[in-house]
Amino acid sequence: MDMQRLETARLFHRFGYGPKPGEFRSALNQGLTATRQNVLKIDAQTIVAPEFTDPGPRPAPNSPDIVEYSRSLRYQNQLLLLWWLDQMVVTANPLNEKMTWFWHGHWATSLGKVRYPLPMYNQNVTLRKYALGNFAEFAQAMFLDGALQLWLDGGENTVKAPNENLSREIMELFILGVNRYSENDVKELARSFTGYRVSRTSGVMSTASRLRDNGSVTVLGKSGAMSPQEVIAHLVAQDSCQRFIPERVWYRFISSANPLPENHSTISAFATRDIKTLVTTLINDPALSSIDNSIVKSPVEWFVAVCRALNLAPSQLPSFTKLYGYLEKLSQLPFQPPNVGGWPTDQAWLSSASAQYRLAFATWLASLANLSELAAVAPNNRVEYLLDWLGIVEWSARTDSALRAVRDNPQRLLTLAICSPEYVVSA
Amino acid sequence: MIEKPVFSHEQLGMSVFTRRQFLKFSGVAATSATILSVDDVAHAATTRPLPLGTPILVVLSLYGGNDGLNTVIPFKDSIYYASRPGITYKPETLFPLSDDLALNPSMSGIKSLWDTQKVAIVRGVGYPKPDRSHFSSMAIWQSGSSQSSRDTGWLGRWLDTQPLDPMSAISLGSILPPMLVGKKQSGSALPLGGLNVPSGVIGAACARLSAPSPTDNSLMAAAATSMRNLFSVSSNVTPILAKPAPVAQDLPAIDGGNAGGDTNLAQQLNVVAKLIAAGAPTKVWSVSLGGFDTHANEANAQSLLLGAVSTSVTTFLSQLKASGRSKDVTVLIYSEFGRRVKANGSEGTDHGTAGPVFLVGDRVQGGFYGDQPSLTQLVDGDLAVTTDFRDIYATILEKVLMTPAEKVLGVWKGRTNAIKS
Repeated sequence: MDMQRLETARLFHRFGYGPKPGEFRSALNQGLTATRQNVLKIDAQTIVAPEFTDPGPRPAPNSPDIVEYSRSLRYQNQLLLLWWLDQMVVTANPLNEKMTWFWHGHWATSLGKVRYPLPMYNQNVTLRKYALGNFAEFAQAMFLDGALQLWLDGGENTVKAPNENLSREIMELFILGVNRYSENDVKELARSFTGYRVSRTSGVMSTASRLRDNGSVTVLGKSGAMSPQEVIAHLVAQDSCQRFIPERVWYRFISSANPLPENHSTISAFATRDIKTLVTTLINDPALSSIDNSIVKSPVEWFVAVCRALNLAPSQLPSFTKLYGYLEKLSQLPFQPPNVGGWPTDQAWLSSASAQYRLAFATWLASLANLSELAAVAPNNRVEYLLDWLGIVEWSARTDSALRAVRDNPQRLLTLAICSPEYVVSA
Repeated sequence: MIEKPVFSHEQLGMSVFTRRQFLKFSGVAATSATILSVDDVAHAATTRPLPLGTPILVVLSLYGGNDGLNTVIPFKDSIYYASRPGITYKPETLFPLSDDLALNPSMSGIKSLWDTQKVAIVRGVGYPKPDRSHFSSMAIWQSGSSQSSRDTGWLGRWLDTQPLDPMSAISLGSILPPMLVGKKQSGSALPLGGLNVPSGVIGAACARLSAPSPTDNSLMAAAATSMRNLFSVSSNVTPILAKPAPVAQDLPAIDGGNAGGDTNLAQQLNVVAKLIAAGAPTKVWSVSLGGFDTHANEANAQSLLLGAVSTSVTTFLSQLKASGRSKDVTVLIYSEFGRRVKANGSEGTDHGTAGPVFLVGDRVQGGFYGDQPSLTQLVDGDLAVTTDFRDIYATILEKVLMTPAEKVLGVWKGRTNAIKS
């Protein structure tokens, strides 16, 4: 196997959303050092977004206003989805965009329960802002995130009636990792998180001192009447946090099957809690060239990579219903993770059902693309041409012969190429 | 251009009932590629339907942590009422099962099956050192091991004892639950509505594209296998789904107009019933219902969910009567944990420990098994575990799947003798 191709393909598909036409070849010519630097180069970029608004209280059922209210809500939710998918495709900063996606799966919050688009959009802005920033500041911002609070019943957590949903997940899934705290820590942390109200429709948080438990709590060995900010700083300062975040980044970017090695360089790199330092270390790690570390592209990653290769903008596809339907059937809709643990990995995306939907989706996308460039290549060279175009390491003899059989039909050729095991899996 | 809105009422308003579930199964290993010819499997499925009388297991997973105390309710215990004001039921609405336990008011269907001795309720089920994380606890239940990082599921290890066959175990939905992941082979996933086999030129090309390749790494091999299985599973299953469900004439009237309910679970079980009736060579089916994580406003939500469970399972068994296979089927219903005895004040309950497990079917010896956990002798505020879930698994492996439990669970002594020999 050509190791430069392997590493280059991984840099494009894992730390970004796959190459645009010509980018892969150009990266190969520039060499790995330059490609790594390019991946890590983040340009200042203003994100343009539609305006998402607080629709105010929901009108009574059966009132005349409810129809327009619901219609506007659905429209904004569609816009939100299309806006983000477009960002993934057109971004000039693939790493930042990919890290935003990673953090969405980390602080996994779903529109399914939050219901209103504004809090979800605001959360996305926060995920973007800290995507490669400082995790200590990030964690503080996320505690004050309305969507996360609504998702985990934060507004229901009061001195009289503590609710442990947020406190448990913040330790288990967001900051420390499972079993790195006691059940008592969960209960005590919930007490220190009391004292907030959250507006459902806007996600705005406000303090409510009479709901606040001002008593002393003990969390991971530290006692006192701590504010949420103090106790979150205490959590982020734990050694388990320094290990947990590198573990999660490794799990999504390198391998979900092989655990992060003990004393891996990313752990010491994360001492300052700077996310970009962690990712930079990982990008330069030998793990990136180990053939054991293959991963499956999730449905959204696959779709966005196809759109980038084919110059398709999700918002410009002829049917939103169709797009939504395919992503839903493939079980991955941005803003709707299946639960607070985020999306599954690898084999979970490889059922025979998803093979069917992926093929139908691919057929549709290939029919919408302008394939004149591929058609201009001599039929005999097309299969090899696709390797660099799509950023694939190599074709197996199996796939090579399957593709050659349909090389005279560019649309069919492309459909099969993006459904091949070599494309579905990041080798 | 944006077409008409597609967010459903459920996605916008009823999240607690529809929240899709999947559990993170950390460290799930890529199974080594199962090399099978499509024709072999297709041939087997059409020419050797499951012989009548072969026991079939249907596993119903309730994701989110079902509140056992509001399912099988200690309705004469004053501590029960005192511990959870606002989320208890009026005693007169319940279905008494014994002097001190009664079923949730939404479970009339299960109650009628109980009355004919077709329901076993195993009380206080859990495992040592309960884990209150959804993900870890579900991983423990599905792996059948107290190490949540174990990389195979209990039914996946059972599959490993079986001949290679993608039809042996099928999960409804497009994502495979970890319980069906084995080392040598895993179960297949089947979406509602069946699969469409690619045909014509593209079908032939897909068949070539999904052939085994010696250079595939394990995930690429799995990707190829999933496409290959598409042909075998779908060519057998799709025609069957087009048939109307065979329904027995003596279908009891259950829950009035709800009998044909449109919850997702009802659809899943309807498909399973049709496939079983048609003779699919499948011994294990997996279905699921999510939304049981009732931290807030529990009573109404849980009632609706349990009502869906009760109605769907009852309808499912009735549907099978005409096929002659209803007596072959055993349904196992479990959740990753129960919930705290004391309410949390958002009129909900937080994560707890032990809960009841249901076994339903003609082969079940109806009645109670395991001790009811005491409401006074709590462990950290939670119910004590009185039965290990692996006791139930061991019995199912031996009495339903006819496989030595040791092959799946290692040496395991406990049994829950709720299945007739």
